[in-house]
Amino acid sequence: MRILREWYVAIALLVALVLDGVIAFYAQGIIFKGTYGASCWFTIIGIVLMGLCDDRNDSNIWLVFGIGIVADLYYLGFLGVYTVAFPAVYFLAKSVARFLPEIFWARLMVSLAAYLLLDAYLFLAYSIAGTISLPISSLLMSILPSWGMCLIIFLITYSFWIWLINKYPFLKPENRFY
Amino acid sequence: MKNFFKNKKILATFIVVIVILSMLTISVNLRNRRSAPTFVQKLGNDTIAIVARVVKWPVSLFTGSIDSVQDLIDTQNENDHLRKQIDNLAQTKARNSALEDENTQLKQALKLKSTLSDYNIVNGSVISRSPDTWSDLLIINQGAQSGIKKNMAVMSGPGVIGRIVEVNRTSSKVELITSTDKSANRFAVEADAADGKKVHGIISVTSGNELAFTQVVDGRKLKRGTRVYTSGMGGRSPKGLLVGTVKKTTRDSYGLSDVIEIKPAGNINSPSIITVIKRKVAD
Repeated sequence: MRILREWYVAIALLVALVLDGVIAFYAQGIIFKGTYGASCWFTIIGIVLMGLCDDRNDSNIWLVFGIGIVADLYYLGFLGVYTVAFPAVYFLAKSVARFLPEIFWARLMVSLAAYLLLDAYLFLAYSIAGTISLPISSLLMSILPSWGMCLIIFLITYSFWIWLINKYPFLKPENRFY
Repeated sequence: MKNFFKNKKILATFIVVIVILSMLTISVNLRNRRSAPTFVQKLGNDTIAIVARVVKWPVSLFTGSIDSVQDLIDTQNENDHLRKQIDNLAQTKARNSALEDENTQLKQALKLKSTLSDYNIVNGSVISRSPDTWSDLLIINQGAQSGIKKNMAVMSGPGVIGRIVEVNRTSSKVELITSTDKSANRFAVEADAADGKKVHGIISVTSGNELAFTQVVDGRKLKRGTRVYTSGMGGRSPKGLLVGTVKKTTRDSYGLSDVIEIKPAGNINSPSIITVIKRKVAD
C-alpha cells in the first residue's frame, strides 16, 4: 500500500490522459468547430502543477516522458509530439517555479502559457510531419477557445492536483508536506 | 561556423531539434506504411482502451441524463417526421425485396459471386477522441478480433465519415474524412450527372475545411443536391456508400478542374455509433 501511494500521481496522470480523450469525445460537438476549436488537456494542468509544486523531484520528468509516449501511441500512433511536449512543459514549469509566488493566480498564468505553447508546438509538429495542412489563422483562432477550456479544467482540478502532488509526491515517500 | 560548433548550448539545441524532426518523420512514415502496429504498441493501446471504457462509463451516465432531456424535446418533431415517412415504408420494402431478388437472379445468370457493392458490416462505438484541436482521429472499440483491417471505410449515420488508419486487437483508430493530412488515403467517388453519365473523382478537403469532390473534369453537369457515392475503385471501400450531396461547384486555383463542395451525409461532428464496412471483394 505504501508503494502504491508513491504511484498515486502517476495513476492520476494516466487517468487524466484517458479522460482527455473521453471528454473530447463527449464534447466534440461543442469544442471542435471546423479548422479551429479548443483542446482538452486535463493532463497538461497536472504536469504544470507538478512542475510548480514538486519542482525538486527528479523522478517527475521520467513520469511525464512515459505519459508522453503513451499519449503519442494511443492518440496519434506515432512518436515525437507529446513525448517531447510533456517533458518540455514540465521542465518550463519547474524552471519558473523558483521565481513565482506560490499562489493560485500565478499558477493559472503558467497553465495558460503552457496550454498556448503546447497548442503551438502541436500545430508546428503536425505541419512538419504533414499530418495537417492548415493556415496559421487556425492556430490564432483556437487560442481563445483553448484558454477557455484551460480555465475550466484548471478551476475544476486545481485543488485535487495540489492535494495529490503535495500529499503523495511521485516516488518520494519521505518528503511529504501538507 | 567554428563559433557555432564551439557554442555548446546552440549545438545541443540544434541536435535536439534534428532528433525530434527525425523521430516525427520516421514514426509518421512507419505508421502510414505498416499494415499493423508492433506487438508492444498493440498491447499498450488495447490496455489504455480498456481503461478508457472504464472511465467512459461514469461520464456517459452524466452526459446520458443531459441527452435524455434533449431527446425528449426532439421526440415530437421526430414523431411527426417519421409518421410522414412510414406511409412510404411498406411500398419501399416491397420494391426493395423485388429488386434484391432480381439482382440475385441476374448475378446467378452472369455467374457473379461478389461484386464491388457487396460488403459486411461491423458495428462499434467511439470510446475516445484525440484531445487536441488539429488531429481528426477517433478510437473505436473494434479491432483485428472483429476482422477490422487498415483502410476500411467507416460510416456513422447515413454516410461515410472516415477510414481505419491503425488496427489493434480490440481497438482501432479512425481518421475522419475531413482530415487535412496530405498523405492520407482518399476515397474514390462517383456521381450521376444530369446527362445520365457517371462523373468520377476523389474526396479531399478544401482550404476552408470543406469536403470536396475533386479531380473532376466536368463537374458542372452535377446539380446541387446530387448524391455522391464511393466508386469502389479505391482499395478497401466498396461501391455505393453515400458520402454526401453536392453543395456548390467552383474551379480549382489552376482553373483546370472543377472543385465540388460536398455536404457530408455522415455524422462527422459528433459520431458515437459507427459502422465499419468490410468489402467482400478482395483488393
